[in-house]
Amino acid sequence: MKNFNWLALGFLAPALIVITVFFLAPVILTGIFSFTSMSTSTGVTGGEYLLNQSGLRALADKGLNQTTLDQLNNAGYVVDEQGLAVLAEKHGAATADEMRKLHENGQFSARRDMERALKDLKANKIRSTKDRKAAAELFKHSLLNERFETEAKFRTALVEGDIPTEDHEIIVTQAYTGWVWTTDNIKLLFSLPSTLRYAGNTLIYVTLTLIFNIGFGLFLAITTFYLPAKSASTFRAIWFLPRILPPVMYVLLWKWLTWDTGFIATTLSWVGVAPKNWMLDTSTHAWVVVVLINGSFGASLGMILFSSAIKAIPSSILYSSEVDGANRWQQVRYIILPHLRWPILFITSYQTLSLLTSFEHILLSTEGGPGRATEVWSLAAYHIALDNYGGNLQYGLGATFAVALVIIGIIASLFYLRFFNFNEMVAKPKIEG
Amino acid sequence: MSHNFRHWPIIVILSIVSLPLIIMFTFQIIDTFTTHPIDSMIPDKITFEQFSFLWDEAETGRANIWEVTLNTFIFATTTAVVVCTVSMTTAYALSRLNFPFRRFFLGGLIILHAFPTVTLIIAIFLILQIIGLYDTLMGVIMVKAALELPFGIWIMKGFYDNVPWEIEMAGVQDGASRFTVWWKLVLPQVQPGIFALMIFSFLSGWSEFLLPQVLAPGNDAQVLSTYMTALIADDTKIDFALFKAVGMFYALPVIAIYLIFQNKLMNIYGGGTKG
Amino acid sequence: MQITLQNFTKTFDDVTVIEDMNLEVKDGEMLALLGPSGCGKSTTLFAICGIHRVNGGKILFGDSDVSDLPSQKRNVGVVFQSYALYPHMNAYENIAFPLKVRKDKPADIKRQVHEIAKLTHIEELLERKPGQLSGGQQQRVALARALVRKPDILLLDEPLANLDAKLRLEMRAEIRRIQLETGITAILVTHDQVEAMSMCDRIALMHDGKIVQLDKPSEMYDNPANKFVADFLGNPPITFLDAKHQGDLLVLPNGHEIKNTKLNAAIEMLQIGIRPECFGPQFGTGIKGVVKFIEKQGREELFDIELTDGSQLRSIQSSGSNLSIGDDIDWGLALDDLLLFDMQGDRL
Repeated sequence: MKNFNWLALGFLAPALIVITVFFLAPVILTGIFSFTSMSTSTGVTGGEYLLNQSGLRALADKGLNQTTLDQLNNAGYVVDEQGLAVLAEKHGAATADEMRKLHENGQFSARRDMERALKDLKANKIRSTKDRKAAAELFKHSLLNERFETEAKFRTALVEGDIPTEDHEIIVTQAYTGWVWTTDNIKLLFSLPSTLRYAGNTLIYVTLTLIFNIGFGLFLAITTFYLPAKSASTFRAIWFLPRILPPVMYVLLWKWLTWDTGFIATTLSWVGVAPKNWMLDTSTHAWVVVVLINGSFGASLGMILFSSAIKAIPSSILYSSEVDGANRWQQVRYIILPHLRWPILFITSYQTLSLLTSFEHILLSTEGGPGRATEVWSLAAYHIALDNYGGNLQYGLGATFAVALVIIGIIASLFYLRFFNFNEMVAKPKIEG
Repeated sequence: MSHNFRHWPIIVILSIVSLPLIIMFTFQIIDTFTTHPIDSMIPDKITFEQFSFLWDEAETGRANIWEVTLNTFIFATTTAVVVCTVSMTTAYALSRLNFPFRRFFLGGLIILHAFPTVTLIIAIFLILQIIGLYDTLMGVIMVKAALELPFGIWIMKGFYDNVPWEIEMAGVQDGASRFTVWWKLVLPQVQPGIFALMIFSFLSGWSEFLLPQVLAPGNDAQVLSTYMTALIADDTKIDFALFKAVGMFYALPVIAIYLIFQNKLMNIYGGGTKG
Repeated sequence: MQITLQNFTKTFDDVTVIEDMNLEVKDGEMLALLGPSGCGKSTTLFAICGIHRVNGGKILFGDSDVSDLPSQKRNVGVVFQSYALYPHMNAYENIAFPLKVRKDKPADIKRQVHEIAKLTHIEELLERKPGQLSGGQQQRVALARALVRKPDILLLDEPLANLDAKLRLEMRAEIRRIQLETGITAILVTHDQVEAMSMCDRIALMHDGKIVQLDKPSEMYDNPANKFVADFLGNPPITFLDAKHQGDLLVLPNGHEIKNTKLNAAIEMLQIGIRPECFGPQFGTGIKGVVKFIEKQGREELFDIELTDGSQLRSIQSSGSNLSIGDDIDWGLALDDLLLFDMQGDRL
């Protein structure tokens, strides 16, 4: 290349930036996040250092010796300038001066000792117990239940609290509230019984919906092919509507159909069937509705593509088959279907991929219920990471679930490359300038 | 197509299997403008009561419907404009310009076109939190436009591929730079494509539910899809007539656009094979 | 402006399409690049106008080397096979486009467009879009657009291929008239020998990426450099007979002998090219055969003759022979116009 093509670079740059930020980065980050303990409680950006009672118990479990534990547990007191300054404000400069004289840099491990030191001031006794308690607090150098923004600050506090240096590491790790690197998510993924269930649900969902999609798409394409233009386009329009309507709206219609005050319940009540929620009363019903919702949505794609493939069959072939005496069924079986082999294969692989990963309609209709009956893998990832009743969203674990889907997505889209005549696509531009 | 076969058996069969959809669509229209007794489906009174949410004061805790509509409109329009602009340049470069690693980029486009973007939503959610665009309309717009982009580039590339090379050669011969050739000579030829993509992206943005739900759940950036979901999810009052009226209001632009551009849209949905 | 190709080489990836080609087009000349499809004539044209890069050698316009100049800076006008009119602009805007890009003043643009429209006879069509123009009119607009900015060189890529027979005849004359009136150096790429012969000063006949002969049209027809040229030019095409060289005689497969003294004695076998107009009753007798097919073309009749030994000859004669299929004939050859080639196809 003689001249670097600045025009091409300029034309490609916006897309490259967008694709890097919203495709490449998320793909990589999904992988990275799956090895973290990120959740609502750890935050996303980073954490603080905080030691609380449950932290102490965990440290005990990890074998931290009792002395250190006691040191951490018992508030320590140091008579330092900072505390003295506040004391001077509250109880007068004289009190503070005397305190400094007697106990400068003095340390007390127990609150009792600290209070006694305050009580024992000769010239400026703090008489009320309540005041003494408050004054003691001024010198408190507690580690427990106190937030430290950085690791350095926390370590300084440990040093000041005379915690043995060899124990610092384990305490710092325990006190960190942010996310950490971990392989627990993967272990959890393989040990949870629900994992298998989600995988099974996904298999059921994809298989049944796919059969419905392809079968019904074919049915619609072939039947409308034999109709006069006007009625054909009417039926195609009806079946295209589910795709064009906003999903929220489309699923609402199904909810109305199956709700306990909805169409089915009401009409059946006329023949004496007690009204019930026909979508969520049993898992079988839930599955039927889920497949119908997604199937009616997906069939339109097959309908469109198969229709145009059938239109591409030279009409002379169809006429000659009729002249040869084929009935309608034979024409479909021996002329039309063989022509649709590639479109069928294409749609099957394409829809397998999108069904594996889509959950929007299920989320809007059954939300995975009843129980977890219709919770598919992608919906589980969504529930774990982005929307659960517990409130603690486990981003890390959710990402681990998503990684499986991302990998499937990458493999399947690489496979998808094969559908295209790639060499023709990359034919060299004809202007070489 | 053929006159050797009868039509009516097919029409009967098709009508029967289409019945659920027909019932849903019919009652969607009937129920929004009428009331009916509690245990019946037959309307007894025509009313516009269900649409009172349009002029009544919004309930506390719920956003104003017109603000939400404006949000939705901004969301859909901006997405469409961004997708079209970026696709216009990128697709041209991929279709017509010479540059290093062209093969690689084209392969990448096919892969991205098939890639299920919804799997990335967790990572995108975290990225938006980190860069501070979480719960903003701006953030969702960027994500939505980005995720629509491979499809847009794909469609536009198809349109560019059909512009005769000789038009460009003639332009270059006439002394125009490649940029001028693109702007003055090629773009006018792909106008129908840009228009179709614009409509498609607008509809896709208008209908989008998952991204706003996950990435901008707050009241400020609410769009009609999340507004409606919140309304339905609030199980203290289940009022299908209201839901349907809101749904009608929400879907009206979509249906209008669909009725006008039906054939164009079927083509782009089919040609793009997304979904 | 004189065009010179020096050792011009063009490759696509690993395939070398044209290697070390040399060509000189004189100032004001109209030259045809003639050849079957795939011979490299369009590639050569695209290299001259700058759409293709040169992989080796040089292209000179006058004395300046333009090999590395982009198309925009070469000042070459091109008429494409499909005319490549911009469908969204009317004829006026199409013609004005090169001037607009050059940033001429609007008044100048208007004047120049009308001038060129007058030259190409399309003044009444300027408001029409390309879709509303006939093929011939589109051709004229394309020609006007190519010429409007007064290019140094005019390139025509199969300009008549998309026209019907009658229009083609008309446009042949028109293009030549305009070329002569403007005095522009022009290259015409075509696979149609009649076009090349009737429009151009010289013809470069190309085959497999090489120029096999560069000559005036009449010279090339009468004096082909090799069998390929003889075969390519002439319609209906030439036929060939193998012959033996014995002493000063050429012996045809049917035993007929022709006197010949010019040949080098070393040659034993050769091929004789006989154009259809060189075989007929007006040239005497001696070649016996049977009429296998008669193609009546109106003014002329074309005969396929099978000689007694099975080889084929073609003959074209004025109508009115009264012969029919199966008739025996005994005709002669125009001995002065026979073309002799060696077995490799080179002219003797």
